[in-house]
Amino acid sequence: MNIGTNKKIQWCPGCGNYAIYSAFKNVVERNIENGKLIKENIVLVSGIGCHGYITNYYDLNSFHPIHGRVPPLATGMRIANDLLTVVGFAGDGDVYAEGMNHIIQAARRNTDITMIVHDNSVYGLTTGQFTPTSPKGFKGRSTPFGNPERPLNPITLMIVSRGTFVARGFSGDVKHLEYLFERAIFHRGFSIVDVIQPCVTFNNTYEFFRKRVYRLEDTDYKPNDFEKAVEKSLEWGDKIPIGVFYEEETDTYEKLVRGHENFFFNRDVPDITEILTEKS
Amino acid sequence: MGEKVLMKGAEAIAEAAIRAGCMAFFGYPITPQNETPEYFSRRMPELGRVFLQAESEVASINMVYGAACTGTRVITTSSSPGISLMQEGFSYIANSNVPCVVVNAMRGGPGLGDIAPAQADYFQATKGGGHGDYHSIVLAPHTIQETADLMFDAFDLADKYRIMVVVLVDGLMGQMMEPVEFKEWVDVSKFKTPEWATVGQGDRKERNIITSLEILPEGLEKMNLALQEKYKKIKENEVRLEEYEMDDAEYALTAFGTVARIAKTVVDMARADGIKLGLIRPITVWPFPEKEIAKRAEQVKFFFDVEMNEGQMLEDVKLAVNGKKPVHYYGRLGGVVPTAEEIYGEFKKLLGGKE
Repeated sequence: MNIGTNKKIQWCPGCGNYAIYSAFKNVVERNIENGKLIKENIVLVSGIGCHGYITNYYDLNSFHPIHGRVPPLATGMRIANDLLTVVGFAGDGDVYAEGMNHIIQAARRNTDITMIVHDNSVYGLTTGQFTPTSPKGFKGRSTPFGNPERPLNPITLMIVSRGTFVARGFSGDVKHLEYLFERAIFHRGFSIVDVIQPCVTFNNTYEFFRKRVYRLEDTDYKPNDFEKAVEKSLEWGDKIPIGVFYEEETDTYEKLVRGHENFFFNRDVPDITEILTEKS
Repeated sequence: MGEKVLMKGAEAIAEAAIRAGCMAFFGYPITPQNETPEYFSRRMPELGRVFLQAESEVASINMVYGAACTGTRVITTSSSPGISLMQEGFSYIANSNVPCVVVNAMRGGPGLGDIAPAQADYFQATKGGGHGDYHSIVLAPHTIQETADLMFDAFDLADKYRIMVVVLVDGLMGQMMEPVEFKEWVDVSKFKTPEWATVGQGDRKERNIITSLEILPEGLEKMNLALQEKYKKIKENEVRLEEYEMDDAEYALTAFGTVARIAKTVVDMARADGIKLGLIRPITVWPFPEKEIAKRAEQVKFFFDVEMNEGQMLEDVKLAVNGKKPVHYYGRLGGVVPTAEEIYGEFKKLLGGKE
């Protein structure tokens, strides 16, 4: 099984996106092979940014929408077709700036979608501006005198927004990413993995994070307590935790509203070529 | 005027705006105009002015709206998809009668499109984009020098009419380098907060309220009529155009912005072949130079409109010509820039081998 495509990968050598790409690829291939995922039912959505190219590199149906709007588009898909496994890839500029409102509402609503956030704390595609997760003082293309704003903490934000699966990964630990992606995909409800993904060109933080990250799974931390999860999410300094911060099983939006019934699955919509070649 | 400097269009826009007294910039990264905010981010703090990278274009335009309500000279710059996001704000700004300047470095669309130069936002800029009966003044420069000059005019016109002024350029104008000479600095210490601004009431008797809401239809109609009165005045007084080799022209090209500079070469090529071709280049695409084009309809055999879109200004040219003469069109889409040879070739096809 190989879900790769023959498209030339356009990311810079050493980009953190490669780790996300291969971790997700391994997870999906493994689970298609063992029958837990059905290839035809997987739909990927990607946002705007360097990461957005990721959907070009998987031989899976995909949808490339509007900057910042991955969560509502993924929500729309999932609600329309209950058979789908919907995975949204987005950047920190996408979901924590342009469309931050949406990721909060999606978490709260608990639709069964998975969000993988390529969080490199910089706008790479527009070549180096700060984002909401850039540290205070960050010097970038629009902050020659240092970023005056304080960063937001996506993990805390997602937990208090009542996301039912909230995790942080690191591009320097692909095996762990595989573990997180697999759990996120099979989590029933809204899941998010915020992946610290250094941008080797505009914000190379590999060394910084490599020294600091540790796996929550290697400790006796249990991700089942809301208040402890909030507290844990605030840990950011010499030690930075990666892993599952919070997990909760509760009814999804689609279950509550429609009992998992499908809207459009059997609808007969003509192919665009049929429309164009139709004789009037 | 100062000394000539070699500058990228995107940077000249920022420098000219700063010299024109722009006190605040709000914007969000988007290609192909990142050099403009980058330039502001360095220069504004140096001058004690504000550069703020917002969380989205929606936030940017609302920050602009807010600053504009205080009578401050304010700007945002973006490119097509970002400008689409701002349309709600534009409509509100129009019916609130507050001045601001917006630069759109147009790129290929629709949707995410590409980052190559295009002119497909002409309709959006000149005919609304947002909802309601409104217009913005839309300036379409064709060189970096003209862009730098028009930035000053943009702020003056915005203040004079309490209106949003759009400077409509494209990715090519932003990325190209040309020698440019800037006008003198506007002395911002002489700025006075306008009477209508929503700043502290002080000892003024009447409080100022800026709103675009009027729930009674008759009241809203009055607001609309006042707007239309303003637009009429602008149409009468602010139309600008350049006519190139039009005095004895038998054929007229119509083009704006980047295409207009290519069209000038086409005119020169035709003149070298003894063909009397001229160019009408609207500088204000709203208000559109309809009277001037109507006048030329008496003179030329046909018009040839060239654009980097599917023929958007074409509609305004046709309305101005009003059926008196044929109006032909040639255009490239999706960010493809036509060459002078290509346009000249299309023009010669129209002549049908007569010359």
